Amino acid sequence: MEPVALALNVLYAVSTLALLALGLAIVFGLLGVLNLAHGELIMIGAYCAHVVQSAGLPYLAAVPLALAVCGVLGWAVERWLVSPLYQRPFDTLVVTWGLSLLIRKSVEAGFGMSFKSLTEPVSGTVQVLGTVYPSYRLMLIAVSVAALAALIAWYGRSRTGVRLRAMVGNPELARAMGIPVRRYSAWTFVIGTCVAGLGGVMIAPLVPVQPFMGLDFILQSFFVLVVGGLGSAVGLLAGAAIIGGTNSMVSALFDATSGYLVVLTLAILFLWLRPHGLHARA
Amino acid sequence: MNTNPNDIRRRLLQATAAAVGTGGLARHASAQPKEFKIGLMIALSGPASLFGPTQRACADLSAEQINRAGGIMGRPIRLLPADAGGPPADTAKSAVRLMLEERVDCFIGSHDSATREAVVTTVKGRTPYIYTPVYEGGDCSANVFCLGETPPQQAQPAAEFLVKERNARSFFLIGNDYVWPRKTNEQVRKYLSQFGGKVVAEEYMPFGAPNKFEEIVTRIRSTRPDAVVITLVGADNVNFNRTFAGFGLAKDITRLALLLEENTLMGVGAENSAGLHSCMGYFANVPGDAHQKFKAAYAAKYGEKAPQLATIGVDCYAGINFAKALFEKAGGADAKKLMAASEGLAFATAAGQATMRGRHVDKDMYLAECKGTDFAVLRTLKDLPSGTACKA
Repeated sequence: MEPVALALNVLYAVSTLALLALGLAIVFGLLGVLNLAHGELIMIGAYCAHVVQSAGLPYLAAVPLALAVCGVLGWAVERWLVSPLYQRPFDTLVVTWGLSLLIRKSVEAGFGMSFKSLTEPVSGTVQVLGTVYPSYRLMLIAVSVAALAALIAWYGRSRTGVRLRAMVGNPELARAMGIPVRRYSAWTFVIGTCVAGLGGVMIAPLVPVQPFMGLDFILQSFFVLVVGGLGSAVGLLAGAAIIGGTNSMVSALFDATSGYLVVLTLAILFLWLRPHGLHARA
Repeated sequence: MNTNPNDIRRRLLQATAAAVGTGGLARHASAQPKEFKIGLMIALSGPASLFGPTQRACADLSAEQINRAGGIMGRPIRLLPADAGGPPADTAKSAVRLMLEERVDCFIGSHDSATREAVVTTVKGRTPYIYTPVYEGGDCSANVFCLGETPPQQAQPAAEFLVKERNARSFFLIGNDYVWPRKTNEQVRKYLSQFGGKVVAEEYMPFGAPNKFEEIVTRIRSTRPDAVVITLVGADNVNFNRTFAGFGLAKDITRLALLLEENTLMGVGAENSAGLHSCMGYFANVPGDAHQKFKAAYAAKYGEKAPQLATIGVDCYAGINFAKALFEKAGGADAKKLMAASEGLAFATAAGQATMRGRHVDKDMYLAECKGTDFAVLRTLKDLPSGTACKA
């Protein structure tokens, strides 16, 4: 047993899960759109990193590229596919599902089915508290925590955050108060897709990058929101901590199968007994 | 003019029936030889679909070569691909459809063993079934012909090599949770104890789930085995090996993966492959005139954009060549005659020739160590027996 390494594994699981679920949390939590193409946006982010790395550019160049690609895509999707369908949850589900198939097949057509292997921008391991841990994973933990903290602070304190919350709480009243609801919805969606893309850039060197990779993330992200509840940052963190943390701990103490068993049981129990999750917005 | 909709519908039906009828007649009249239909079950979707393009390209090449030389028993081959990348029951359903609606002459399957078991129990030997990829061995179901590598061909020489040449004594086994890894590991245990190695732990990850490997790699690190034997498949294999090297274990612990070919190794990446071994019946860089000729034909057909050649893929090429040899020797589709004809049957593979014995194939094996994203062959083991001898 290596307690420090296990704790870092849990921390890594929770922080990356929160980061990868964040885009979905924004779009689903604030706009009520269950974006089934969320995983594919993560995949696009990862392919942006692949493109940048195979062009010999520094890894950080993937950040603006992913922002541009996912931003434009998110804007177009919101404008033409999603905005006519607000308040029609089932229809948005079908539309984004179709979109996920289209993105997956397009990437397959452009890049082929093969695995892309990305080099970690920060390689090697470092000594932390008496245990050896991969540097890039540590960096990922730090960046995830910082990004989430910044976003939560901004959403809670800034003027735009207040307006966003007003819009989510009561769109009609918000519009009457002069808040540009239409524009805010579009921006919220675009931010959600951009965050998903950035998550993809960050996770890309650690996972097999291929057109189907998005499927791995959508279900877990959805569980996080089921457990944590919609529309609140605390809920997102609580969901990620419970889903990611439990999975990691049970996998470490027993095995991966038990990890899944516990996560699925938790998700079912929450849907059954607490359908709004732990900390849904009031 | 009668405009009763029912009447119109009836007349439409009659007209359609007539059109279909004459179409059928016309086909008869031209006396074209009947097509030889092959149900090609490969992964077109899902996590294994990474192998799909190579499987399809190799199958197409083989069919084209055979058709140019007159087909199978004078009948041109037509490939009917079906997706074997989803749940086994879905593939079994496709097999039934191909069997009843398309009346395929045989099946060629390059997919996982869970799917093979589903197909075998559904088809029940009514249509010959050629199963081509690496598997756990031991399947003697009627009218089933297995071409792939088996544990006596892979695990036995690899276990001997790790114990004797790499001085590995303690082994950690990790695989996906389904029939191939579990049955293969039973035999891995046997070989390891035979050569003086010891298994310290055996673990399985769910098959087809979004697995992550930090926990298991941490556990391997605290267990400190000399070597890890990996029966993970596809993306899980990539993910595990990347995480393993990321945690800095590659330089201290030897790895042997039992399904590691070019596509998977590309995903693992050059900086994560130190100390990683593979033992397969084919690598894209093995020498030989026949192989050079095959590669030239493959390159000529597909050019620059050709899918990467690998053992899962060229197995389909061998499968179709085997079907030709088998049906022509048996002179028909009778199961008994086919099984009898298969004994001692020689057929062309991508890298040369192979011979069927006991409805399995004795073959040359290559034990390789990864150098970056290339396989450096350390040993060539000639004509290893499959260890399974089914009644002809």
